[in-house]
Amino acid sequence: MAKPEQKEQDAAGPRPGGTRPSATRQAAPRPSEARQSAPRRGAEQHRIQLADRRRSWRRHHLNVAREALLRLKQTPVASLMTLAVLAIALALPGFLLAALGNLQALTEGWDPQPRIALYMNTDLSDASIDSFSRELLLREDLSSVELISRQKGLEEFRQYSAFADLLERFDNNPLPAVIMVLPRDTDPVQLPLVRSELAALPGVDEAQIDMEWVQRLAAALALAQRGSYVLGGLLALAVLLVVGNTVRMTIESRRDEILVSKLVGATDAWVRRPFLYSGLWFGLLGGILAWLLVQLALLLLAQPAQALADLYLNHFRLQGLGIQGSLTMLAGATLLGLSGSWLAVSRYLREIEPGVATSGVATAGDV
Amino acid sequence: MAAIRFSNVFKRYASGQDALLGVNFELESGEMAFLTGHSGAGKSTLLRLIMLMERPSRGQVWVGQQDLSRLHRSQIPYLRRQIGVVFQNHQLLFDRSVFDNVALPLQVSGYDPADAARRARAALDKVGLLAREKHNPVTLSTGEQQRVGIARAIVHKPKLLLADEPTGNLDPELSEDIMRLFGQFNSIGTTVLIASHDLSLINRMQHRMLTLRNGRLVADG
Repeated sequence: MAKPEQKEQDAAGPRPGGTRPSATRQAAPRPSEARQSAPRRGAEQHRIQLADRRRSWRRHHLNVAREALLRLKQTPVASLMTLAVLAIALALPGFLLAALGNLQALTEGWDPQPRIALYMNTDLSDASIDSFSRELLLREDLSSVELISRQKGLEEFRQYSAFADLLERFDNNPLPAVIMVLPRDTDPVQLPLVRSELAALPGVDEAQIDMEWVQRLAAALALAQRGSYVLGGLLALAVLLVVGNTVRMTIESRRDEILVSKLVGATDAWVRRPFLYSGLWFGLLGGILAWLLVQLALLLLAQPAQALADLYLNHFRLQGLGIQGSLTMLAGATLLGLSGSWLAVSRYLREIEPGVATSGVATAGDV
Repeated sequence: MAAIRFSNVFKRYASGQDALLGVNFELESGEMAFLTGHSGAGKSTLLRLIMLMERPSRGQVWVGQQDLSRLHRSQIPYLRRQIGVVFQNHQLLFDRSVFDNVALPLQVSGYDPADAARRARAALDKVGLLAREKHNPVTLSTGEQQRVGIARAIVHKPKLLLADEPTGNLDPELSEDIMRLFGQFNSIGTTVLIASHDLSLINRMQHRMLTLRNGRLVADG
C-alpha cells in the first residue's frame, strides 16, 4: 500500500507540481510515514502515487455516481416530476426527428421526374382515348405515355379509397380517363409550355404537372425541418433550465455539507462532482423516458400510418428512431443534463464559501 | 521554525468594523498556546485568517513556510488539509453517522476507504466515542458532539490544530477533559492554538497566552 501522505492529494486530478503550495511540499512527514516511505526510490514512489491517485479518483467517481442516483430515489415524487418534465421536453424533438426521418424516406422513394397528367373528357369513348394515347406516343417531346382507362381508375379507387361506397350512388363511372405523360424536357421553364400545349389538344379537359405538389411538399418538409430545429432548440433550453433549477435546489439543501467539506479541505472539483452527476442522471433518465414515449407514440401510429402508406406506396414501412437516432437522443439528453447542472454549479457553488459573507454554519460566534 | 506567523496584520470587515489592528506574533512548531480576550476582541477572526476563511486587509500571515497572501484560491483546500479545526458550534452534519462525520476529511483527501475507516475509528477511540460511531450526532450530548468535532479535527493527524472556544458550552469537568485531550495532541508534536475566554481553566493549564483586546495583541506570555 502506498504511504498515506500520497493520498492527501485531491482526488479530482493531478495538480501541476509547480503550482503546488510550498506549504504542502514542506509538510514534515509524520514519523510513521517517514518510516514507511524510506526504502522507496523516488521514481517508483511517484509511479505508485499516480496509480494510487487514479484509483482513488475512479473510486470516488463511482461512489459519487451511485450516491447521486440514490439521492434521486430518496425524493421519488420530486424526482419523478422533474423526470416527467424532462421526458416530455425531450420526447417532442425526438418524435419530430422520427417523423421527419419517415417523411424524408417517403419522398426519397418518389420518382423525381415530372409527369403531366392529362384528364380526358368523359364524353370520349374508350377507343378514341386509346387512339389518342397512341398518337401521343409518336410525339418527339414525350418519353413515355401511360393510359389509365376509366375502368382501371374505378377499380383502383374502389380498392384504395375509403369512399368506395360513394361510387354506388353514380349510375355510370364518374371518373375520367387519365393519360400520364413524361416529357423529355424536364426544364422548369419548358415544362409549363409543354403542359399548355397538351392542354390545348382536343379531348383534353385539363393538364396538370404532377411535380408541383412534390416540390411543394419538399418545401414544406424543409420548413418543418427548420421549425423542428427551432422547437428542438427551445426545448433543449427548457431542459437546461429545468435541470439547472433542480440542481440549484439540491445545492441549497446541501449547503451545510458543502461548507463543512470546504472547511476540511475539499476542492471545488470534489464539491462539484455530486451535483454534476445528479445532472447527468437527470439527463440520462429523462432521455430514456423520452425514448420510451417516442417508441410508444410510434407504436400507436404504426398501424394507421401503414394503412395510409399502403394507399400510395406498397413498400413503405414506418421507421422508429433506429439505433443511431436512439443513441443520439440519449447522448443529447445526457449532455443537456450535464450542461444544466454545470450552469447551476458554476453559478451557485462559488457563493457557498466559508467566511463572513455566508452567515451560515461556518461563521463562529464572535468576531 | 514558526508554525504560524502574523506580521502586522489588519482586518477590517466590509461593514467597516475593525477586527484586528496590527497583530504580530509567532507560534513555534510544536508549541501550545491560548488565545484569549473578550467576546469581539478578534479571536475568531485571527483563527479564520489562518484557515483562509478570510483574507487580511493588510499584513501577512504565514503558515509554516507558506505566505498565505500568495496562496491562490485553488490551493486553499491543500492548506486546510494540513490544519485541524475544532469549531465552537462543532459544525457536525446531522444527516450522517458520527463515523461518517469523522471520516469526512479523509474522504475529501481521497484516502482509501479501508484506511480511512481505520483512522476514523482510531480518532474516535482517542476521544472515547468509538462505541457511538454508528449513532447520529444529534443523539449525542453537547460534550460528546464537541468530542466528535475534535476527532474530526485530528483524524488526518494535522501538524496544526486550531480550536475556537472548544469548551464554550461545557461544564468545568468536561472542559478540563477536553483541554487535557489537546494537551495530549501537543505532547506528540502537534502545534495547538486554542481560542478561549475561560481564564480560570487557561490559567491552570500553564501554557503561553496571547491576549487580544479590541483587535490588538495586548499581552503575550
